[in-house]
Amino acid sequence: MKLTINGKPTETPSALSVTALLENQRVKMPDMVSVELNGEILDRKAFPATLLKEGDQVEFLYFMGGGSGGVPWN
Amino acid sequence: MNATVLQPDTLVVHGGLEPEQATGATAPSLVQSNAFAYPTAEALEDVFAGREAGYVYSRIANPTVAQFERRITALENGVGAVACASGMAAISAMVLALAGAGDEIVSGTSVFGGTFSLFQQTLCRYGITTRFVEPTDAEACRRAVTDRTKLIFVEAIGNPKLDVPDIGALAAIAREKGVVLAVDNTLPTPLLFQPGRHGAHLAIHSTSKFINGHGNAIGGIIVDCGSFAWDNARYPHLSVLHKRARNLTFLAFLRNRICRDLGCCLQPFNAFLMSMGVESLGVRMERHCANAQSVARFLSGHPRVRAVRYPGLAAHPDHALADRQFAGRHGAILTLRLVDKAACFRFINGLKRARNLVNLGDARTLVVHPASTFCRELDDASRLAMGVTDDLVRFSIGIEHADDIIQDLEQSLKKV
Repeated sequence: MKLTINGKPTETPSALSVTALLENQRVKMPDMVSVELNGEILDRKAFPATLLKEGDQVEFLYFMGGGSGGVPWN
Repeated sequence: MNATVLQPDTLVVHGGLEPEQATGATAPSLVQSNAFAYPTAEALEDVFAGREAGYVYSRIANPTVAQFERRITALENGVGAVACASGMAAISAMVLALAGAGDEIVSGTSVFGGTFSLFQQTLCRYGITTRFVEPTDAEACRRAVTDRTKLIFVEAIGNPKLDVPDIGALAAIAREKGVVLAVDNTLPTPLLFQPGRHGAHLAIHSTSKFINGHGNAIGGIIVDCGSFAWDNARYPHLSVLHKRARNLTFLAFLRNRICRDLGCCLQPFNAFLMSMGVESLGVRMERHCANAQSVARFLSGHPRVRAVRYPGLAAHPDHALADRQFAGRHGAILTLRLVDKAACFRFINGLKRARNLVNLGDARTLVVHPASTFCRELDDASRLAMGVTDDLVRFSIGIEHADDIIQDLEQSLKKV
């Protein structure tokens, strides 16, 4: 299926859970990544049960990484 | 036996570790680099924007430090951790991430002298007021919490008073009031006690002590135990971030705002030493506790010792709670009282192996006279509240053979 991941069109196997997507995309530091699905941040506990569908917009966000984390501080 | 949940003794060796794929190395890699290069400007921008994982500058994060953070997170069963330059840096950063001018802290009286000084002497200059309460009096703690309280802070075992607060009771108050409860877990270590399992929200350590275990690296760490809902209106600066960062809200603010701006980062080499030191924490704590119990028993019956304080002794006022809370082990720290300060000095000077210095949690037995050292600048009332008198000597019992430790103490007591 076609997803948009971090703004880039990406082809993935169908019916992936968010947990499986992290693996499929070889996301670095999966325990530290936050996932935004169609504009909503997912609860980490929901990763295994949340299935992705064609056209979903997915953003991976690192709030605990080495950069400033992209957090809107103010 | 649950095959998927590792015992703490195993976690200290394996917890939070990922195989070093490039080399197969089992020891942590020491990444002694200030900054990290990227092939393109876009790639570096992605890391800064949080779209990609990566390291940019070791003041904010460093691979060796991150590995150490993962190990302690695993031991405390937390969500994540931020390591700092020292235990005091960790406490300072934690407070500044929670409180600002006009806010209040409720702290146990029996905290380490440096912590007491930070709360009483330093933070008040920046508008943060501390209300001190007996940490073993949960109701006093409840009464001290106001609308401005941003933190309840206690030590799991007070240093050097060695009192033991009921963390479950304090956690119930913290939950009821919607205030963060942080527990300094330096003395019990995660091997004896995990504050998060008793309802505390943050666990904090001076990792220079038992976690390091060898007296060769200074460091501290703050672990988010994962039980505080950071969308709480008491913390508006955090609740606004919660929409984005969710359960990582506090850690993200702590690392990417407070620690980044203060520059209180743990050095990679110290993280490297502490990552290796922590692997033997299980066996060290076993020996520390057994030795301390033997020494406490010996001192209890000694005619020249006026009083011995150790949570493992039945005579200790918090013994039953300590027994329950720490599963029958009581740590390495004990204190004794002689007739006066001069007797304490003669006793310390007469010791042949115990080293006279202001540290604890080393492999070797350490001794210190608190009133003339780390509690020197505090007034009499504060010292008394902390259980520090002129006739008090503190020991951090090491992992030597118990007979040799006792022999050293015995020969010196003869000179008192």
